Amino acid sequence: MRLAHLADPHLGVRQYHRQTPSGINQREADVARAFRLAVDGVIAERPDAVVIAGDLFHSVRPTNSAIVFAFKQFQRLREALPEAPMVLVAGNHDTPRSAETGSILRLFEELGVDVAVDEARRLEYPALGLSVLAVPHTALMAAERPSLRPEGGARHRVLVLHGEIEGVLPTQRHTVEYGGALVGLRELGMEEWSYVALGHYHVQHEVAANTWYSGSLEYVGTNLWGELADEREQGIRGKGWLLADLDRRTVTRESVPASRPIIDLEPVRGEGLAADALDDLIEERLRAIPGGVVDRIVRLRVYDVPRHVARELDHAAIRAHKSEALHFNLDIRRPEIHRAVGVGAPGRRQTLPELVRDFLAHRPLPAELDRDAFVRLGDELMDAVERDVAGT
Amino acid sequence: MTAPPLGRVVATELKPSTPHQFHFWTARESPIGIGAIVRVQEAGRTVYGVVTDGFAYSDLVTPMHAVLGADGDPVAAGDEPTARAEIRLFTVAVLRQMPEEPLQPVPLGPVWLADDADVLLALRMDSYTGGERASGVPVGLYAAGGLESPVYLDCDFLLGPEAAHLNITGVSGLATKTSAVEFLLASIFQTFPRHKGSVAALCFNVKGPDLCFLDQPSALSDEDHRLYQRLGLRAEPFADVHYYAPLRPDGVNLNTLRTNEALAGNTEPLIWGLREVLDYAEVVLNRDDIDAKADAFIDFLAERVVGREYQDDMLRGRPFQVQSFADLEEFFRAIFDFMEVLGKGGEVWKTHHLATIRKVRNRLSNISTRSKGLVTDDGAANDLPWGSFADRGVYVVDVAGLDPLAQDLVFARVVSKLREHLERRDLGVEHVVVFVDELNKYAPGDGPETYVRKMLLDLSERGRYLGLVLFSAQQFRSQVQRRVVGNAGTAVYGRMDADELATPGYATLSPATKIKLATLPKGELMVRHPHFTQPIFVKFPRPPVLGGREGIERYPPSGDMPFAAAVARRLRSLDRRVSAEAVFEAIDGRREDDVRRALSATRRERPTDPLPYFVACLGRRVAGEVVLPWRGIPAVRRGEDGYGA
Repeated sequence: MRLAHLADPHLGVRQYHRQTPSGINQREADVARAFRLAVDGVIAERPDAVVIAGDLFHSVRPTNSAIVFAFKQFQRLREALPEAPMVLVAGNHDTPRSAETGSILRLFEELGVDVAVDEARRLEYPALGLSVLAVPHTALMAAERPSLRPEGGARHRVLVLHGEIEGVLPTQRHTVEYGGALVGLRELGMEEWSYVALGHYHVQHEVAANTWYSGSLEYVGTNLWGELADEREQGIRGKGWLLADLDRRTVTRESVPASRPIIDLEPVRGEGLAADALDDLIEERLRAIPGGVVDRIVRLRVYDVPRHVARELDHAAIRAHKSEALHFNLDIRRPEIHRAVGVGAPGRRQTLPELVRDFLAHRPLPAELDRDAFVRLGDELMDAVERDVAGT
Repeated sequence: MTAPPLGRVVATELKPSTPHQFHFWTARESPIGIGAIVRVQEAGRTVYGVVTDGFAYSDLVTPMHAVLGADGDPVAAGDEPTARAEIRLFTVAVLRQMPEEPLQPVPLGPVWLADDADVLLALRMDSYTGGERASGVPVGLYAAGGLESPVYLDCDFLLGPEAAHLNITGVSGLATKTSAVEFLLASIFQTFPRHKGSVAALCFNVKGPDLCFLDQPSALSDEDHRLYQRLGLRAEPFADVHYYAPLRPDGVNLNTLRTNEALAGNTEPLIWGLREVLDYAEVVLNRDDIDAKADAFIDFLAERVVGREYQDDMLRGRPFQVQSFADLEEFFRAIFDFMEVLGKGGEVWKTHHLATIRKVRNRLSNISTRSKGLVTDDGAANDLPWGSFADRGVYVVDVAGLDPLAQDLVFARVVSKLREHLERRDLGVEHVVVFVDELNKYAPGDGPETYVRKMLLDLSERGRYLGLVLFSAQQFRSQVQRRVVGNAGTAVYGRMDADELATPGYATLSPATKIKLATLPKGELMVRHPHFTQPIFVKFPRPPVLGGREGIERYPPSGDMPFAAAVARRLRSLDRRVSAEAVFEAIDGRREDDVRRALSATRRERPTDPLPYFVACLGRRVAGEVVLPWRGIPAVRRGEDGYGA
């Protein structure tokens, strides 16, 4: 018994402003491509069942093109796997906020997809010895949640759920989207299921040997850099879906090649650097990207750059890079200001010359000025003024 | 003052009067007895005293003279031509002299039996029973010669801050200890002055059903009602009583004798989780067994792991969130797995030796096994209402059915929490009386140092500054840690065992007082109190609450019920409208663990409508729907999918 586990395709998502030659948002096309590749992979593997653990669409009212596209992909799946159960649950993105809105997901029922939109469904497939409890986002947000326990004597018991399992996902980067239903580990009762197919967290993640987030098929979250960091941390390369063998109790990662590289460059430290020096460093970093920035999603963080230096950067060059890349995020950050707050004894009040010296030693200066000479000059002037006042 | 005197002070060279003791003679028929309070009034000085010993003798020089006088015939002994002169001589310990300065020997003067006003003055009760800020708490009636006078304790010296604590000694089964405490608590609750603040009581029920029916009235005799009236008290049970008992290992039945359904309304389970236990780990871990290394590891767990997110990439990718014993077991498992992979050389984890880790794990998991019912595995605790104790509220923690280890844990944690809250002044009341019976067991004079004994000692030494007052009871005062009983400002004695009276602790009592103590009838006590310079005998009515034995007869325990029935009972205790059938239907086919969790959540939340909430916690059942195999669909026309393929 092999089960294909997909989640979070987010079809119809639109990011950045680049369009394909046919006028479609480039990222929307990327996401569609990823889903198509995943469907290709599923068809090639010919699993006994397919589950999609939520957020098929990025929004409650996806674009017509996204709907048509999704329909055609399910159609392909159904043609290739005519008897395989296909279970689709609604996630937080494609769940209507009010019942009257209705759900587009029901459209796929016409293709033999078992859809859970508002309420949990326990779907029994006696021929396969399979029981699937499909729990959509709404059911988990309801006052009376469904009992997440297997029932009946089916040999393979699968839970499909869209939500956040409490306490098992990394929290430091906020890569888990806000708004997901929280589910406790005990409530989940993982040990009682043959397999738990989870959706909502976009990084492929093993909660337990039989409990997995398959992750999204493309980088569609609001914090894609955090997603990348999570993946690096967990040793995961890229996106994909999962193929679970319920008899052998194995789970295989099936990757989906990315549409384009997403590159997070090594940050630049800008402290004490003049604008042209920084321009050079930025150029150097971008030139080091094999194949350049064209059509890629790139981020470069530049730390400790005072505002006046940032203003003097070569913005024409930066704009040029931005127009080449699908998205170039030059993230310039100002120095952190550490305010010295006096505590304890009042201490000695500074004299006026000391105050001036201190100010001159810290005020921002054009890079070509020698600060020591500048401070010395200030001292001399103060000295002259004091002598003048004293009449000496 | 109009009554004729009963006797006259005598002082001889051999038996002189002193400022603290004198003797007086009286007629054979006088009503004077051991413990009677008398007044001597002579030459502008009034002396009050309590009779501590008595003598009777005649003018015979030796017993031989009596034998010879009767010709050796006991039958003829009564036929002497003249009756022999006989004297009744009593020894009196001075309670008070007025004026108090200069302190002088008691004058030779007439002796009267004390009346109400005299008793008030003799026991210095005049300083705290009159006026607007009176602080007297009736403890019983002093009775002698047909007179009865209420005796009051000064609540400043009973509940602090001047002195505090009360200790009761007496043999078992003679309505001394438990009854006296019940009566005294009722008296305190009725008379503790409002200007002194609020007061609550926390009682540990350590054996049988002793304190299980404090909210139920007892059937009192007319004599008891008369005594209550004389003491100015109402004979009524406690109005605000809350019972806490651990669960049995099945997690739904309560481990107490108070299981009759009629009493379920104010009986709650006492359930603690890992955090609650780990804070008091040293109580439950055998000190001889747990060394400094194990201590260090327990500290590591408490400081770094339990109740917070603990990340260790070597053990596993995601952080540990240890909230319960089950989580802790998972954490230990991860350490052992990691060490196993390391193989040889994998004996130390973060400076802690594997053997130490195993030892701590075994001891801690033992707690959840041995104290199952009190200690929950899933982390959901149900505790006393810290922060919202009610004025005149009684909180009974029933530990009678727990094993000694768990009892120690309950004592230690409850008293420590009380102290913490009273220190912060956020308990809800300003004074708490803690009643602990069987002090012989919990604070013995000898044997190894235990956490509970240290805690009781600390409570008796420092508690009064906080308003934490210990009312303790035991059978043998001589075998209790001396500082624990020594710190009790007020001591009460019921009928005593003669062997116990022979111990040095009772050397200050006269032989006559000891005999009286050894034969003290039910309902009588001897009281020591800082205002009384000598112990005083009083009698008290039966407490206004149902005793343990009668309670069990009137409210027989319902015994352990089947799981479903017990769950229904617990829900019905939250809302009488909940029908057992509805509960049975809701839990039919559910896992017991899920039901326990839902029950625990419902109890914590206390919703207005418990059953729907309980059902919601259980989770709605999802009915199965059989899906027939899909037989395929006609292919759609091939072509552009809209996204370029």
